[in-house]
Amino acid sequence: MNKRMLLRLMGGAAVALSFGLPAHADTLDEIKKAGKIRVAIDTAIPPFGMTDDKMQPTGSDVDLAKLLAKDLGVQLEIVTTTGPSRIPMLQTNKVDVVVSTLSITPDRAKVIDFSVPYADHPSVVAGLKTVQIKSLADLDGKKVAVVRGTTQDSDLTKQAKGAQIVRYEDDATMAVAVASGQADILATARSLLPAISKKNPARTVEPKITMQTNWLAIGVRKDEPKLLAWINDWVKANLKNGKLAAIYKQYHGVDIPTDELLKKGS
Amino acid sequence: MSYKFDFEFLAERWPDFVAGAWLTIQLTVLAIAFGFVVGTICALVRVYGGPVLRRVVGAYVETIRNTPLLIQIFIVYFGLSSLGLKLSAEVSAVLALTINMGAYTTEIMRAGIESVQRTQLEAADCLGLTRLQTMLHVVLLPAMERVYPSLASQGVLLMLASSITSQISAEELTATANLVQSDTYRSFEVYVIVAVVYLALSALYRLGFWAIGLILFERRRRLGTPL
Repeated sequence: MNKRMLLRLMGGAAVALSFGLPAHADTLDEIKKAGKIRVAIDTAIPPFGMTDDKMQPTGSDVDLAKLLAKDLGVQLEIVTTTGPSRIPMLQTNKVDVVVSTLSITPDRAKVIDFSVPYADHPSVVAGLKTVQIKSLADLDGKKVAVVRGTTQDSDLTKQAKGAQIVRYEDDATMAVAVASGQADILATARSLLPAISKKNPARTVEPKITMQTNWLAIGVRKDEPKLLAWINDWVKANLKNGKLAAIYKQYHGVDIPTDELLKKGS
Repeated sequence: MSYKFDFEFLAERWPDFVAGAWLTIQLTVLAIAFGFVVGTICALVRVYGGPVLRRVVGAYVETIRNTPLLIQIFIVYFGLSSLGLKLSAEVSAVLALTINMGAYTTEIMRAGIESVQRTQLEAADCLGLTRLQTMLHVVLLPAMERVYPSLASQGVLLMLASSITSQISAEELTATANLVQSDTYRSFEVYVIVAVVYLALSALYRLGFWAIGLILFERRRRLGTPL
């Protein structure tokens, strides 16, 4: 590279900077042009995202993302993320979409767009068999483990004012806290309980209170109508043909309420 | 770039940041103080102790200095809990940080103690100082004065490293940042604020060390020259 070319490049960069980046780059076009879709998945939330014995990502969210990439006709690039960082990664264009047990909430809808829901996701307060809790009021003065920034965290913070909420950074750390005896009660997704109990069968946890049922959707950056429409059609089609139900059943052992999901999405 | 900074959440959330910073200060001031005591005793053992004790201290220092702080914190918090000793996140944090600070302080203080020349000890003996007086005034204080900048740096480093204790649910400054960030989604702003707070804390700690140095080292205060 000679000096003149370098100068020209620098000039070009300066012009690009001064005009700013185009605000409406179309992500669907970019995905197709790049031949790959970058999907944020938390691989520490079994059975949605986890690693198999060969350290390869697997789980229901991973299989969903694989199916999505296949139907788009592009390669799948999994970007591992965590609960607190998945939305910032989407906002800062580190990924194209988020498929990471992302529940639809009004607060989140202010900063990103959601596809139609692809699965239900009940959250529960669970505890050891010996723990007596029947309502949120019974949590007064008790330690309850949650993962920071999750819906369980914000719900419990509002609804169980008397509880002492202990926040961990991810599900794995919270699971260790339960297995090692640091926490007897936790608020989490029902889907996570079998995996937590498996870590230390002597400290098996069971659901006590169903807090609410959330709806999982694919997260898309704001102002991406083309990508959002494509994903919405894709989710509906794959709910109808049973492919998403089959993925869910394979990893969770329970059926998703397909009819209810389709009704919510219409 | 179309990113718009928005610090509005500060109006509502600033008490959280204050509480987080306060816990960071409490955790680290305790850990620095306890760590200094542990480290000084271990350094004396390493220089003057018997062969067995010296090996034990050596093993402690090398183990701690060659393993990540995060692992040490996990061992204290989750490991001890598995054995039945349930410590709260804050107590675990102080304990793990103390163990860590102690190991580094041992090496720093050892360098200082070894820099005290034999002739000084002989002079103390000639002047009829007791062993305790010699240890305190001829060995420890001058040793500490020589390595004081390193000690102060290590203290500031520990304060910054204490951000890791957010991983075991200690609600210190970094944990607060993660919490506010996940509530408001203003991640960039939150981390900028926290970086500034850490910067201010570092300055505060250095000021504190400087003031303690003035009180401790009388000779430096009077003459204004380093040892």
